[in-house]
Amino acid sequence: MRRGPLHRIALALAAAALASTVAPSAMAQEAGVSDTEITIGAIGALTGPIAFIGTPGRDGMTLAIDEINAKGGVCGRKLKLNFEHASTPAESLAAVKKLVEQDKVFALVLASGSTGAAAAADYVRQVGVPTYNLYGSTPIIREPFSKNVFHGAIVPVEVAAPGLIGLFYDDGHKPQKIGVLAGTYAFPQATLKAVEAHLKSKKIDYALEQFDQSARDFTSQLVSFGRQKVDSVLILGSFSEAGFAIKQARELGMANIRWVLDGSAVSRAIVPIIGNADGIRGYFNNPAFPGQNDTVREFEARLKKQLGSMPQGRPNNYDMIAYGSTYVIADAITGTGCQLTRDKFLASWSSLKNAGPKTMGGLDVSFPESFTETDHQGNYRLGAAVVKNGEWQVYRVIERP
Amino acid sequence: MSEPRRLLAGLAPALVVLGATLAGLPLDNYPKYVIAIAIVSIVVGASLVVLVGLARCITLAAGSVMAIGAYTSSLLAIHLGVPYLIGLAAALLTGAIAGWLIALPGTRFRGHNLAMVTLVFQSVCIILIREAKTLTGGAEGIHVPAPSLFGWTVRSDGDFLLLIGVLSALAVLVLTVLVRGAFGKNLQAAAGNEVAAEAFGISVPAYLTAAFVISSVGVAFAGALAAPRVRILDPESYGVMASIFMLAYPIVGGMHSIWGGLLGGGGLRVLPEFLRPVADYQELFFASLVIVVVMFFPGGFVELIRRGVLALRGHPAGPREAPQPAVAGAQAAAAVTPLPAPDGAAPLLVVEGVDRHFGALHAVNAAHLTVPVGGIHGLIGPNGAGKTSLFNIVSGFLAADAGRVAFDGTSLLELAPRDRIRLGITRTFQHVAVFGQLSCLDNVIIGRGRNGVLAAIGQSVDEMRSGPLTARARGEALAALDAVGLADLAGMPAGALSLGNQRRLEIARAIVSDPRLILLDEPVSGVAEAEIEELRALLLRINAERRIAMLVVEHNIPFVARLCRSLSVMGAGAIVAEGTPADVIAMPAVRQLYFGEDVAA
Amino acid sequence: MAELALVLIAGAKFGAIYALAALGLVVVHKATKTVNFAHGAFAMLGAFSSYLVVVHWQWPYWMAYVLTPPLIGVVAALIEFLILRPLRRADMFTVVIATVFLGIALSEAFRLTYNTELLAVPGMFVGMPFVFHGVFMTQETLWVIAGALVICVACVLLFRYGRLGRGMRAMASNVRGAQLCGYSVDRVYMFAWFLGGAMAGLAGVFVAPVSGVSVELSIAIISAGFVAGVIGGFDSLKGAILGGLLLGVSESLAAAYVSSALKNCISFLLLFVVLMWRPEGLFPETVARRV
Repeated sequence: MRRGPLHRIALALAAAALASTVAPSAMAQEAGVSDTEITIGAIGALTGPIAFIGTPGRDGMTLAIDEINAKGGVCGRKLKLNFEHASTPAESLAAVKKLVEQDKVFALVLASGSTGAAAAADYVRQVGVPTYNLYGSTPIIREPFSKNVFHGAIVPVEVAAPGLIGLFYDDGHKPQKIGVLAGTYAFPQATLKAVEAHLKSKKIDYALEQFDQSARDFTSQLVSFGRQKVDSVLILGSFSEAGFAIKQARELGMANIRWVLDGSAVSRAIVPIIGNADGIRGYFNNPAFPGQNDTVREFEARLKKQLGSMPQGRPNNYDMIAYGSTYVIADAITGTGCQLTRDKFLASWSSLKNAGPKTMGGLDVSFPESFTETDHQGNYRLGAAVVKNGEWQVYRVIERP
Repeated sequence: MSEPRRLLAGLAPALVVLGATLAGLPLDNYPKYVIAIAIVSIVVGASLVVLVGLARCITLAAGSVMAIGAYTSSLLAIHLGVPYLIGLAAALLTGAIAGWLIALPGTRFRGHNLAMVTLVFQSVCIILIREAKTLTGGAEGIHVPAPSLFGWTVRSDGDFLLLIGVLSALAVLVLTVLVRGAFGKNLQAAAGNEVAAEAFGISVPAYLTAAFVISSVGVAFAGALAAPRVRILDPESYGVMASIFMLAYPIVGGMHSIWGGLLGGGGLRVLPEFLRPVADYQELFFASLVIVVVMFFPGGFVELIRRGVLALRGHPAGPREAPQPAVAGAQAAAAVTPLPAPDGAAPLLVVEGVDRHFGALHAVNAAHLTVPVGGIHGLIGPNGAGKTSLFNIVSGFLAADAGRVAFDGTSLLELAPRDRIRLGITRTFQHVAVFGQLSCLDNVIIGRGRNGVLAAIGQSVDEMRSGPLTARARGEALAALDAVGLADLAGMPAGALSLGNQRRLEIARAIVSDPRLILLDEPVSGVAEAEIEELRALLLRINAERRIAMLVVEHNIPFVARLCRSLSVMGAGAIVAEGTPADVIAMPAVRQLYFGEDVAA
Repeated sequence: MAELALVLIAGAKFGAIYALAALGLVVVHKATKTVNFAHGAFAMLGAFSSYLVVVHWQWPYWMAYVLTPPLIGVVAALIEFLILRPLRRADMFTVVIATVFLGIALSEAFRLTYNTELLAVPGMFVGMPFVFHGVFMTQETLWVIAGALVICVACVLLFRYGRLGRGMRAMASNVRGAQLCGYSVDRVYMFAWFLGGAMAGLAGVFVAPVSGVSVELSIAIISAGFVAGVIGGFDSLKGAILGGLLLGVSESLAAAYVSSALKNCISFLLLFVVLMWRPEGLFPETVARRV
């Protein structure tokens, strides 16, 4: 008997209907969860000026997921990462909608601190998908509080600002006047707001100068600092901007300045720009800088093996945060008792204590994270870092003020 | 094209946008969102077709103009609670102002300087938005509230798609009317040949300004439409790179048709969604795509598709000129001889004591000549005698230092070239200056001279609904084409004609407005020997039938001698002889000047 | 006073680099009447070549100066042959668009192959700075200002007195005439691009320790080079040099004494003012005859 296409479709439908009645458990499964896989979505910039954040995000997550899967996965299922490139709000919304509505991910990671992440966060508050904000420190990403949005290693700007200013007073230094050198783009501007608020509340004398993204000539700003007798400078920007600013300051004869850098500039790649970078300080979002101890050295070796070759300046802050945060997600999944529903997952995440790579045998490169029903900020600690003999190292942990 | 078909062709782009909207409504939220954003890009693409495609102006300011639209409507809503539709209207206004501001320097430059001037606008605009922190939220961005109109709050992806789809279809309809109509054609003419456009009453600065304004209004509208859709407004999204990639929309899609904007804008916005697995490479891919299109398919994808369709139907790839149609009465006309100069005819054009210096060179020296009503007057002289300078002074492209040029009692010296057509003076060009992109019919319609920007916009609307103005314009133009024997080629792009036919087309364009005087600048230069006689007959017939006077500058002495009733001869800037052709050519002074014959011999 | 001197020195340092960048643009424009918007990308490739020589292979620094110009020159000539030659009959509009997107394609190709934010290159001289009444000047700065300007002047002389320079000038003023005099359009255009590319490459070697190698470098160089070219008068070689210096110094002064956040606006303002009020530039080579 020859069967037409209609006939075949009808048969397939009948089979599907039958299957759904005999296997009700399969139907009840949450979005992004199958019998063998749990899908996690992520967005971040892979091209453009903030690719130095998105690319490590992808690489760090991939490394952690490969390790977890090699050990059998979570709840008997492998983790699967769908990482989408997105930078602007329009791109980020497209990517997040694809991940949530088409790929139906179980959890979503915002591996981007850009305005795009803000647009995405605004959207996920509406649809309720469990979301992890890895790199966004700005209020526009974090507010208002929502029960499905969590924040990890990066602390809010209100916490980072006092930590940064505190670095000026380490080792008995007494700053006479602080110069603040801030980029005019989104990242540094958010920190600047909190820093200015803190400086004003503490009645600390400061001078403000700004520069455009990717600026390479800071002479005028530095000369202005010199005129105002600034002896301590805070730089809010990327490592390349901070590096060339410090290099030029030396060329202008500005000696004995205490330099403090925002976390985004604390990178190995700053050292070759400046040459002798010893004494420069900044905060780091993890307990140890790459190369500082055996754990982070092992992390670097594994990442290098995964990438083939290590790009200049890596591993950086963002590699380590992404790696550690992926383990936090795995911990939250485990905490559901493998009842993989969104509600259980959110409840488990909200009650995590000291989560991180250690619980599942990963490399302990990040601060442990704890959450409560009303506080979704996993970490409040910062590592105070300084360059010694050409290498960054964390010399103390800044606790929550 | 029949009337219903023309209406359909005009509506089609807007219908496609509506179709995409309807097709998207039953889909998931993600495709709904992508379609909505792609439709916004379609509006951008269609707007840029006006400026980049038709006016051939490079703009690197599209991003900032979009930002202006987006921030206008959003900030009004955020700070003043202004309703959505009023915010949109305000965005139209600020878009128009932005376009006008860019046009102030923009109409003075072309090519790389224009690119840089628009880049200046772009950068300064984004810096201002970034620095006005209390108003705009600065670099960190600002949250855009959900729009609501008539009690309907737009939140879901479906609602947004519907809203954006309908409003964009309207915008595309308006742009289609302008691009396809007289406005678009005149704009192409202005961009294609400024001198010829000016000669037929098209003010090039006015049209370029209009192109900047219209395209900016469209881009700003698109920005305002998209703003609540993307939730967060930040200056970086509208930076230089955004501008550069928007510039790619009309180039990749196709620059000469509204469809190019649709295809380029929609296509390039949707493409990244399909390129997600290789997202790292998308900028490289786009940049390479533009280079390939510019090098190998200058007409963009629209042209590629058109050629593909023609090939499938078995037509030859491009329009070719059909075998030369026999010009009615061309052979018989060879026998036509000039009428004797009408005795005592009133002077129509009077040139007296005209002087012009170039540095030390006295190019025109107290020149004088007279063209009587209905007469044919020739101006000859060896190279460098000052003919062209004098001709340009009469046609208005060169200022005189002193003297008088009067047409029927009105002084011409203070008038811009484009104002001469109103008095009844038209011209042809030494190097043929037909508008190659446009059909013969459209070339001649431009020759009617009613080419003010507002008139052309009105005409465009009339064309869309096949109104009476259009019927009249086509009728007159067809009659003029018929008079020069080109009626069969009315639909052919002028650039595809032979040189001889392009000269005929110029004559048709010059006579369609029923002028009283035509200035003919070397009308047979470069024309094949066989066609010269036909052109002469044609000119004589036009002179006889329509009583149009002619002033002819020409090197071909036998042609001039057999065409004109009177001649002036120039030498070293001055008129050295005048009279009937036979008398003048016999004058020893002329023979000496012209043919180098010794006077004594 | 010391402060003003420091600001002026920094302005001159960037100005000298702008001058070198502008000179390459002007050479190509003078001979071929096209503006190469991919010029910044050539400079970026030059800086990258410097990184390879100095950091990656650890060869002597002078080799970066010797190897880079011919290398980038050949790349530029190749691009002229592959992309610009087929477009020779196209109008200015098409050529501008082609080079704009060519610049993006080159920058992106670099970014994809060397996936990094910035490559740092050390300076050629690392000795103690000269100090004079509180004014510091490093050997590196002195080298950039003096070296770049010497090369600029050498290029001007080459263009004025060399045979190919004459050919290019002839070609620019009258293509047909130059052809009749035995100059081949293809060869002259290709050589102009080679020379322009070589100068972009040199600008890249000079700028590498000052700015590092990054994708942003290509945009920074093209916009500064173009503005400098316009200020000088786009067909004037000495104008390009003076324009570059003027731009560098005025940017620096404005940032120091007006507002650092608006630094980028200054060059745009300068460009705008010159285009509107003196489109032939401040230092034109010949007085244009208005006919």
